[in-house]
Amino acid sequence: MPRAHLMTDHRRFTDGEAVIEVDGATVGAVIGELERRFPGLGEVLTHASSAGVDGEIHAEPEYLEVGPDTDIYFVAPLAGG
Amino acid sequence: MPRTHVSCTVNGDEVDFLASDDTSLLDALRDELGLIGAKEGCGTGDCGACSILVDGRVNCACLMFAPEAEGHDLLTVEGMATGEHLHPLQQTFLEGAALQCGICTPGFLVAAKALLDENPEPTETEIRYALAGNLCRCTGYDKIVRSVQEAAVQLKGAAK
Amino acid sequence: MTATENPPTKYKYIGTRPIRHDGYDKVTGKARFAADKDLPGQLRGSFLRSPHAHARIVSIDTSAALIMAGVKAIVTGADFPTLDVKNPSHDIAVNLMARDVVYYNGHAVACVAATTKPEADAAAAAIVVEYELLPAILTIDESLAEGAPLVNDNNMTKFVESDGPSNLATVTELGRGDVDEAFAAADLVIEREFDTADVHQGYIEPHACIVDVGLDGRADIWASSQGHFKVRALTAATLGWDTARIKVTPAEIGGGFGGKTTIYLEPVAARLSEISGRPVKIVMSRDEVLRATGPAPSSKSRVKIGATNDGELTVMEASLAYGVGPFGDMAGLVGAMSIASYKMPNLKLHSVGALTNTPKTAAYRAPSAPHAAFAVESVIDDVAQALDMDPIDLRLKNAAVEGDLTAMGMPHPKIGFIECLEAMADSDHYKSPVPEGAARGLGTGFWFNIGEQSSATVNLNEDGTATVITGSPDIGGSRASMALMAAETLGIDVYKITPVVADTESVGFTDVTEGSRATFATGMAVVHACRELIEELKTRAAKMMEVEVDTVSWVDGAAVSDGKDPVSLAAITAKAKRTGGPLTATGSLTAAGAGPSFAVHCCDLAVDEETGQVTILRYTAVQDAGTAIHPSYVEGQMQGGSVQGIGWALNEEYIFDTDGALENASFLDYRVPVASDLPMIETIIVEVPNPSHPYGVRGVGETGIVPPMATIANAIQRATGTRMTSLPMSPPKILAALNEA
Repeated sequence: MPRAHLMTDHRRFTDGEAVIEVDGATVGAVIGELERRFPGLGEVLTHASSAGVDGEIHAEPEYLEVGPDTDIYFVAPLAGG
Repeated sequence: MPRTHVSCTVNGDEVDFLASDDTSLLDALRDELGLIGAKEGCGTGDCGACSILVDGRVNCACLMFAPEAEGHDLLTVEGMATGEHLHPLQQTFLEGAALQCGICTPGFLVAAKALLDENPEPTETEIRYALAGNLCRCTGYDKIVRSVQEAAVQLKGAAK
Repeated sequence: MTATENPPTKYKYIGTRPIRHDGYDKVTGKARFAADKDLPGQLRGSFLRSPHAHARIVSIDTSAALIMAGVKAIVTGADFPTLDVKNPSHDIAVNLMARDVVYYNGHAVACVAATTKPEADAAAAAIVVEYELLPAILTIDESLAEGAPLVNDNNMTKFVESDGPSNLATVTELGRGDVDEAFAAADLVIEREFDTADVHQGYIEPHACIVDVGLDGRADIWASSQGHFKVRALTAATLGWDTARIKVTPAEIGGGFGGKTTIYLEPVAARLSEISGRPVKIVMSRDEVLRATGPAPSSKSRVKIGATNDGELTVMEASLAYGVGPFGDMAGLVGAMSIASYKMPNLKLHSVGALTNTPKTAAYRAPSAPHAAFAVESVIDDVAQALDMDPIDLRLKNAAVEGDLTAMGMPHPKIGFIECLEAMADSDHYKSPVPEGAARGLGTGFWFNIGEQSSATVNLNEDGTATVITGSPDIGGSRASMALMAAETLGIDVYKITPVVADTESVGFTDVTEGSRATFATGMAVVHACRELIEELKTRAAKMMEVEVDTVSWVDGAAVSDGKDPVSLAAITAKAKRTGGPLTATGSLTAAGAGPSFAVHCCDLAVDEETGQVTILRYTAVQDAGTAIHPSYVEGQMQGGSVQGIGWALNEEYIFDTDGALENASFLDYRVPVASDLPMIETIIVEVPNPSHPYGVRGVGETGIVPPMATIANAIQRATGTRMTSLPMSPPKILAALNEA
């Protein structure tokens, strides 16, 4: 099952749990499941996060496919100047 | 405000235009003569992006009133190349990557030309001080100074 | 250069230094920047700006102004739609024209369009505004103080549950391990506090645009911007227009560095143009640029590092606060995330963004990272000295490598920090003795770099030349890089290629030139388009050679097949009509896999202890570029970033008076480095190719500004024995610190 790695800010929704195993075929599906289990978390992950998957950061990862062994790191959106 | 008729020489051409007494020479060059090479970076003579030559001396066009140009001989960056030949400074700036965004480049070229016209073999320090009135935010000045050094070498070679 | 497991591949065009295609126009004064564009009948715009740091607008009376000579239109906040507070463009829309409240001294209150600039200025001055003053917050400390008045009633802190509005933009906590236990076990603990002031990107070209709204309601915009698709999007959002009503042509841009990734003018010019029926040109003055665009945030930080006696950095605790202006901003979050250079098994970061009644901050190269690096790299230097370790050796021992975790908890991809440290250790500068009377400082930094969306169209012309069309404004030579990557892929000479930066109607969607993404992501789109063309060229060649297409390969700009003469690209394009029609392809993608770029800087300097003046004697910047497509422009980014950092370190700061007015709103008093302040900036490009890019590119534009402040602070500390913890390290502050010591 894919693993969602949460930043410290996110862990207030999960009672401090940093790594959650969540089923889903895409990052969007994983977020949806996280919202279902921890109301409010999905909102934060949708609007204020990019997702690091396989060493690459994706800014809008809703449709990004993930597999049973994928680690998803929810990180802050990045821009630059 | 009524406009004054100004006649002068710009880049070798005799020109004339109208400008009110409170119009800067920079604005007159750009708006009346279409010579947009000189840029306004600050309007207060602190950045050198509007550098032009007036009778061979470098000046900030933003600090001169347009009617002050009457009877004088002006050079802008548009007058540095002759026909299809770039001035050596223009060539070395290109080869030396002495520009990134390019907004300060006209001012630097004119100021560097004034330097080399007066001092054909400047030291690095002399170059840096002569160009201290021209701000560049992109390059850190390194490649600009090197390009001026290279142009000095080329001009000296051509003079022989 | 540095040895890696995968030595850089030899390229034919990539890595050469051709004269940039747009260079001739730029050295002859022919290139047109936004202020160089004029339209017949145009009006000039002039803003009226708030003289107060925080006030309610009670009334605005434009009646006297409207009847003045030359005035054709005046707009205020009432002339723009009210966006919902949750709309992502809400803050930008309010920032470019105040509605009920002015949030900083310089905040736009009205704008006049008149036939000449002096007329517009005179009319703006005749607008009468009644204000009701509100308490103003000018510093981070004031903002965070218990019971502080609110800077902005609409601001809800992101990422935490809150009862109501506050002065906190963001609160972020990142960490791993057990810091308390690790500090208790450490042999050495050093803790320091730092502060920095607002600084400005200082681009020489003020913001400018000209907007022509036709009677069909369509707007033609020429703008100075790092991203014209963003100009289009933000203008549409601010005005409530369909995107298709707006066309934006990017003018040549005279510097951005992150400060031109947002908008201040275009919707205002558009409304004025709509009302007056004339084109409207607005050019900011330098004073306006400094007072009313986006500086980089101020900061206050506290960093505590624990180490073992043999130099292992085992733990770091840091709290960071960024002063972000009157609107919510991610600076605090990004600052915490930017701490990622060392293994640091135990980490606790607490970072906030604090609102202030000063200009809304914007990106400045690697946003938020310089502030954090100044603090962290300074303390690490103290650790090195306390342990009597060479600063490079200390960092080599702790440097992050692929797989090590960033502060966010994500493993680094392939990175080149160790290679950069080794290249610095091996450099002529570092191996030379420190000059008499001088001292040497070292500092490091990095930036993530981003990917985002890019599109590119490549058209092959009838004679085998090519046009490469992209949507990334060229802020530092990227056109040349696009041409080089296309040349390498297609196998034709770089001067057979014309790189073009096209308007929003002539190329596919492309995100802003920011985050060091252009060479990486737009380059990737160019390469994809070229590769698609090559497949088509092989198909055409197969027809011409009368062979099966799977026997054809593309080598050195020609189709080759066993037993047949090669068919050059030009030969194929000459027969395009006969073999299937025009040869054109588009690449469009959301680029993933942007590779982080690390940098290591070294500085020799001397401090005049009687005047406090610092003289930089020698400066070297090492940076990992992945692959340097055009080395001159990579060096240029490294040098430019270094010098901006030197200015940030030694002289630059916003000085506000007690009313929140900027006292040094000119280049005379906001002192950026000039040529006579500096030596040559030596550069060493390290190449640890980024596996995610066809040519190994890592963005390079931003990292260069991250190391300089600590590099210089560390040198000053070693020169004088005094550690400067407040930026800028200007002469009066150095003197004061030396006297105190």
